[in-house]
Amino acid sequence: MSHHAARALRHHARFWSTGTLVLSAVMAVGYGFGLARLLVGMGPVTNLSDQYPWGIWIAIDVACGVALAAGGFVTAALVNVFGRGRYHDLERPAILTAWLGYSFVAIGLLFDLGRYFNIWRPLFNWQGNSVLFEVGMCVMVYLFVLTVEMLPALLAGLKEQAAGTGRWARLLTSLDTPLRVARRTVKRVLPGFIVLGVVLSSMHQSSLGGLMLIAPTKLSPLWWTPILPALFLMSAIMVGLPMVMFESVIAAKSYRRAPEMELLSPVSRVVPWFIGAYLTVKLVDVFVRNDLSVFLLDGEDTVSWLIEVGAGLVLPMLLLSTERVRRSTRGVFISACLIIGGVVLNRVNVFLVGFHPPFAQASYFPAIGEIAVTAALVSTIIFLYRFVAHFFPVLPATEADPQVDDEPVEEESAFGWARGFRRPSLVLFGGFIAFYVVVHREAITESERYTAPTGLARDTSSGPKAPARETPAAPPSFSPEAMPALLVLSSPLANAGTDDYEPVRFMHRAHATHSGGDCTVCHHRVQDPAKPDDRVGREITQVDMSAFRPSTCGACHRLPDEPDAPTRPGLKGAYHQQCVGCHEREGETTAPTGCRDCHRRFVPSHKDLLALPAKVTDPRVITARCLECHADVGEAVLDTSHWLWRGASPHETDRERESSLGKLVTINNYCIGVGSNMERCTQCHIGYGAFTSDADFHDRTRIDCLVCHDTTGTYQKAEGEGGAPLADLDLVAIAASVGQPTRGDCGTCHFNSEGGPNVKHGDLEPALANPSPELDVHMGQHGLACQDCHTTTNHEVAGKASTLAVGTNRLRCEQCHGGSPHAFSGSVRYHLDRHLQAVACQACHIPSFAHESPTAMMWDWSKAGQDLPVLKDANGMPTFDKKKGAFTWGKDVTPEYRWDNGRTRHYTLGEPIDPSKPTTLAEPQGAYADARARIAPFKHYRARQPYDTETNLLAVPNLWDGFWLDFDWEKALRVGMASVGQTFSGKFGFAETETWHGLHHTVVPKDRSLRCRDCHEADAVSCTRCHGHDENGPETSCEQCHGSTPGQDFSVQLGPSYPATAGKRLDFQQLGYASDPALLGGRFHKLEGPFGARKNDKAPTPPAAEAPAP
Amino acid sequence: MGRTCFREMNMDRRELFTLALSAAGATVAGPALAAAADGHGATPATERATDHAAVLVDTTLCIGCRSCEEACQRANHLPAPEVPFSDRWVLNTPRRPNATRFTVVNAYEGRPSPDSRDRDKTYTKVQCLHCVDPSCVSACIVGALKKRDDGPVVYNPTICIGCRYCMVACPFEIPAYEYSEPLLPRVRKCTLCTGEDRLGKPKPACAATCPVEALVFGKRDELIALARSRAAKNPARYEDHLYGEHEVGGTSWLYLVGRPPTEIGLLELQEAAPPRLTEAIQHGIFKYGALPVAVYSGLAGLMWLTNRNRPQGGAK
Repeated sequence: MSHHAARALRHHARFWSTGTLVLSAVMAVGYGFGLARLLVGMGPVTNLSDQYPWGIWIAIDVACGVALAAGGFVTAALVNVFGRGRYHDLERPAILTAWLGYSFVAIGLLFDLGRYFNIWRPLFNWQGNSVLFEVGMCVMVYLFVLTVEMLPALLAGLKEQAAGTGRWARLLTSLDTPLRVARRTVKRVLPGFIVLGVVLSSMHQSSLGGLMLIAPTKLSPLWWTPILPALFLMSAIMVGLPMVMFESVIAAKSYRRAPEMELLSPVSRVVPWFIGAYLTVKLVDVFVRNDLSVFLLDGEDTVSWLIEVGAGLVLPMLLLSTERVRRSTRGVFISACLIIGGVVLNRVNVFLVGFHPPFAQASYFPAIGEIAVTAALVSTIIFLYRFVAHFFPVLPATEADPQVDDEPVEEESAFGWARGFRRPSLVLFGGFIAFYVVVHREAITESERYTAPTGLARDTSSGPKAPARETPAAPPSFSPEAMPALLVLSSPLANAGTDDYEPVRFMHRAHATHSGGDCTVCHHRVQDPAKPDDRVGREITQVDMSAFRPSTCGACHRLPDEPDAPTRPGLKGAYHQQCVGCHEREGETTAPTGCRDCHRRFVPSHKDLLALPAKVTDPRVITARCLECHADVGEAVLDTSHWLWRGASPHETDRERESSLGKLVTINNYCIGVGSNMERCTQCHIGYGAFTSDADFHDRTRIDCLVCHDTTGTYQKAEGEGGAPLADLDLVAIAASVGQPTRGDCGTCHFNSEGGPNVKHGDLEPALANPSPELDVHMGQHGLACQDCHTTTNHEVAGKASTLAVGTNRLRCEQCHGGSPHAFSGSVRYHLDRHLQAVACQACHIPSFAHESPTAMMWDWSKAGQDLPVLKDANGMPTFDKKKGAFTWGKDVTPEYRWDNGRTRHYTLGEPIDPSKPTTLAEPQGAYADARARIAPFKHYRARQPYDTETNLLAVPNLWDGFWLDFDWEKALRVGMASVGQTFSGKFGFAETETWHGLHHTVVPKDRSLRCRDCHEADAVSCTRCHGHDENGPETSCEQCHGSTPGQDFSVQLGPSYPATAGKRLDFQQLGYASDPALLGGRFHKLEGPFGARKNDKAPTPPAAEAPAP
Repeated sequence: MGRTCFREMNMDRRELFTLALSAAGATVAGPALAAAADGHGATPATERATDHAAVLVDTTLCIGCRSCEEACQRANHLPAPEVPFSDRWVLNTPRRPNATRFTVVNAYEGRPSPDSRDRDKTYTKVQCLHCVDPSCVSACIVGALKKRDDGPVVYNPTICIGCRYCMVACPFEIPAYEYSEPLLPRVRKCTLCTGEDRLGKPKPACAATCPVEALVFGKRDELIALARSRAAKNPARYEDHLYGEHEVGGTSWLYLVGRPPTEIGLLELQEAAPPRLTEAIQHGIFKYGALPVAVYSGLAGLMWLTNRNRPQGGAK
C-alpha cells in the first residue's frame, strides 16, 4: 500500500463556497449573541439559573467538544503507537479536528465563564482536590501537545508556500533556516509528544466524567456511577474512529473527491468491538447498582437513556457488524453519525437531562442565544478546518488530483457537492425548528407572585365587641387598680445584639384583666422569695395563687442557652415566645403578631447617611435622595389617602365599595372646598406643588418626607405657596434629623385645620404637641405619639375621622385596653364594663373639648365681604373676619351625645339640598335600636355657607386669589364650581349646614372622667337599690363590692365629676330611651322585679325593642 | 480482501482493544487504589469540626417573622427587596436564596411539633449550611471557596473564574449567581457574617436578631449537646434526628425538628460526604503521578516496539 502525500486543497478548489458563506452567516449571528453576553451578562442571553448553572455551553461545547475531539488521540495512537501505518492519511485530519475542537472548548469557555478574564488563574491558584482543576490543567497541556502535533502539517505547508512566488513566499524564504530547524526539532520530539497526548487525553476524558461525581444526589441513577470516569473514557475512545470516518466523508464530499473507503472500511470493522465493550460495562453497571425501578423514576430520563443506548450504541453496533454496511459510504457515514449522536446525547444526558436539582421550579431549555453561540463555535471549527485544509497539506491527495501542478483547476459550480447534502440538511434544520417550537418550554426562573391585601394591619371593621365577660368573684389578691397600667419593657439583655426596635409599651393591667386575674398565664413559675438568686423556681400550684407574688420575667430569663437550663430562653426570647405564642393562639383577633404592631422601629441617625450638598434650596432634591434608599416607600406613599386625598370608604353608608371619595368630592362648612384653592390648601398636603394636575399625583419626587419626619420642630410649609416649605429653612439639617414622626409633625396640619389652631376638630389643639398629663393622659402622661395608636402599614395611616368619608382601619380603644378595661375590683368593674355595650369609651373619658385653644362652633359665611367691626369674645377670639364672616367660639365645651355605630354619611358635591332645613355634611350613623351603636360625644358645629339657589347645590367658592382678594361672591362661586365640574346658575344664597365631629383626643385622667351621676339621676344609681337588704337583713357592706382597697371613698365613686352639668349632660329620651336606663335597664336587657323600678314609681311601659340591626 | 486482510484486521482489533481496556482499567482501578490509598479520612471530618462556628435552628420556635431575612439584608448591604420584610404573604410561595438574598424563610402547612399549640404552620430558614466537608470547597477549581479553621465557608471573588462548578456540587442547591452582572459576577451565599464590617459583632446578624431565639449561635459540639438536652427534656416535642449532624458528612447549621425533615423542606441526603469519593478517585489515580507515568512508559515502549522494524519515513 502506498501512502498518498498530503496536499493543500487550494490547488484544486476555491475556498469560498455556499457552505462557507452559510458558516460565516451562522458565525456572525452567534458571535453577535456572544458579544451581547459580554456586554450585558449571561442573564439576558441564556436560560441559566441558580438551579441549572450549567447549560449547553458546558454540556455540548465543553463535554461534547472534548469527547468528539478524541479522534485525534485515537488515530495518533492507532498510527504511531500501534504502528498501523496504513491509516497514516487519517492522522493529520484527525489531529486538526482535535486541535480545532480543543481550541474552541477554550474559546467557548470565554463566553461561559462568569469571570473569563480570570481564566489564567488555575495556573497559579491550584486546588488539587477539584476534578475540574485536573480537567483544566490537562486540557491546557494537551492543547500545547496538539499544537506540536500539528506542526508537521503547518511547517510542510509553509515549506510549500515558500517555493511559490509573491511577497509571502519571499518572507518565508528569508525565514528558511529557522523553519528548517523547527522541522528537525519537531521530527525528533514528536514521538514523545504523541504518547504524551494519548496519556493526557485519557486523563481528561475520564475526568470529565468525574465532574459529575460530586453531585450524587442530583444526577439520575441511570447515569451516576463511581465508574463514570471510565465510561466517559471508553465512550471517547469509542467515538474517536467514527469521528474520523465522519470528517473524512464530509471532507471528501466537500471537495468532490471519493472518500477513502479502502481506509474507512477496515477501520469501521473494529468500531463494533469498542461499542460492545462500552455497552457491556455500561449495562452491567446500571443493572448491578439499580433494580428495574430506576426506569420508572423519570419518564424523560428513561426515554433519553433508551435512545442513547438503542440508537446510539446498539443500532450502529449491529449496522457496522455487517460487511455491506461497512463497504458503503452511506452506511459508514450513517453509522458514524449514530455513534457520534449517541455520545453527544450521553454528554447531554449526564450534564443536563439527568441533572435534577432538588428545588428546580422550571426545567432548563437552552435559550436562542446559547444555541446561536454553540452553533457559531461549531461553524467556526468547520470553517477553520476548511481553511487549514485549504492552505496546508492536511488531507491526502488522490489519484484524481492533478500532480504537483500549481495552476488551479477551473472550479465548477460549488453547488455540485452541496446538492447531495442540501436535502438532508434542510430536513434536519426544519426538524430542529419544529422540535424547538413544540418541545421548548420557557425556563422561568422563580416567578414569585404574591397577593397581599393592601395595608391591613389589623381588621378593626367588626362591630362592638361581645359584652364584657361576667366574671365570678375574682381572687381577693387580684387588685388591678394596684397594678401599673403600662410598663416599658427595655432591658440590655433583650436589646443585646440588635437595635432594630424601640422598647415595647406593654399594657400590663389590660393583659392581667384579660387573663381573668390568672397571673400564671405569663408568670408561669414561682420563685422562692427567700432565694432571690433562684432562677429556676418551680412550677406554680393552686396554693401559690393566693400567696402569689409574681416576679418579673427578668428574674429568671436573662441570656439564652445557659448550660444549666438549656430549654430556658433568654429574656428577649421569653418575651417573644410568650407574647407572640399567646397572640397566635388567640387566632385572628386584634391581638398583634407583627413586629411593628408592638414596637416602633428604631430610626438610626441619618446625619452621616445623607450625602447631600451643604445647602439645598429645592426640597425635591431631598426627596430624591430619600428615595434612593427608600424607593419602596415612595411607591407606597403614592397609594395612600394622605397623598391622594381620596381613598377607600368602607365605612361610608351606601359607598362602601368606592375609593373616589375625598377632599375633591366632599366639602365641609369651614373653608368649604379645595377646588380652585389648591395653592393655599396644599400647605397641608404631604407633597410639593399645587397638585392641580393629575400627573402630579404620580410623581414620587414631589413627596414631602420632611413634614412628617422632621424632629427639629422647625419645618413648616409656607402659606399659599403650593406646599413649598418656608424659604429660609435649613433643609439639610432638617433632613439629617429625620426620625419617627413626633406629635408636632402630625400637628403641623392636624392641629391647625381650616386656618387656625383647633378651629376645626375641637379635640386636636396645638397644646397636644407637648401636653400636660391633665390635658391628655395618653400623650401627656405616657408619652404616646400619634402613630402608637394610628399605626401605619406601607405608610397608610390607620384611623377614620368622622369628618372624613375615607378611612379603612378604624381605631378602637379596646385594641389596647381590652374588653374589660376598668381597673376596679369586683362589681364596680362589672358595672362599668357593661357600659361598653351602649356607651363609647370617649363619652365618659372625654368630658369636654377645646381646653387650651378655643374652637369654632359657628361660622356664618353670609357676613363675609362686609365691613363689620371685629369684636373679641370672652376668650379673646375675634367674632368677625372680613374674609370669612362671623364666628362663634367655644372653650371647654360640653359635647353633644348621639348614637354612633362607626359608620358615617357625608354630603358629596352634586347632591341637592333642602335649604329650609340644616343640611348635615358629616353625620355619624347609628340609632337606639342598632346593637352596634354606642353613645358617643360630638362637637356639633353649625355654619351658613353659599349654595346655588336654582339648582339647590351647595357651592364651592374660589377663595384663594379670588374672594379673598375682591370679595366678589358671584365670581368666586363661578370659578369654584367650574373647578369641581359643577354648573353654577349665577344665583346664590346661604344655607344652614352642620357637622358632627367625633371626639377622640384630650382623654382626661381617670379621676376627671365622668362618673355615674354625671349622666344618671342621682337616685337611680344608688347601690342599695339593687344590692339592697330586707328591712330585717344585715346592712350591705361596701367591701362586699368594692374590695378592700384602703382609703377609697365610695360615695365619691358615684360622682358627679362635673356638678354644673350633672343630670343635664345626656337626654335619655332624646336618645330613644323611655327613661333613665339605670332605672329600667338597657336597650335589650330590662331590669325586672323589685329591682326594676323604684318602689313607689309606676314604671312607664318600655317601648318594644326592635330587633337589632344586623 | 480475504485472509490476509482478515489477519491484519485481527491484529488491529486486538491492539486497539488493548488500548481501550488498559485505559479503562486504569480508571476503574482508581477507586480500588483509592481504597488502599490513604485519603484525608482517618479522622472523620466531624471530629475536626468540634469548635467550628455553628447555629442551631429550633424549627418549633420559629414564627416566620422574617426578621432574620431583614437583618441579613442589612448586615450584608444587600439590595432592598421588592416586597418589604413585614409582608408575610410571600411565605406562602416557596422561595430560594438568590443573588440578592442570602437567606429565606419558607412556610409549610402543619404544626411544627405534636405538642405545638401556637401555630398551624412550620417555618424553615434556608441558607448555606457551612458543611463540615463542603462539596463546593472541594469542587472549586481555584480554591475561591475555602473552609476557614473556625468553621465558615467563605468566598473570595478575586480569584473566582465563574465556572459555577460549586453550584453544581452543592447538594443543598445554595450558591446563587449574579447572571445579570456582565463584568464582575459573583457567587452569592451566606457568609456567617464573617465580613470585615462584622468584626466585633458577636453573632451572625440573623441569630442576633431572632426575637424568639430560635437561632442559637455557638460551637458545633456544644450546640449538638444543647440540642440533645432539649430533646431529652421534651421528647414529645422533637424528632429523634438532629438534621445536619451527619448529613453529607455533617453541616454547621443544625436543625431541631418536631416533624420529619422532608416535610419542611430539608432534603434527605446520604451521610457520606461527596468529596470523599471524588477526592479518593482523583488522588488515587494521580497519587505520586504513578499511574500516568506507568501508562506513558507502557505506551512509549509499545510504540518503540512496533516502529523499530519499520523503515523511517513511514509514519510521517
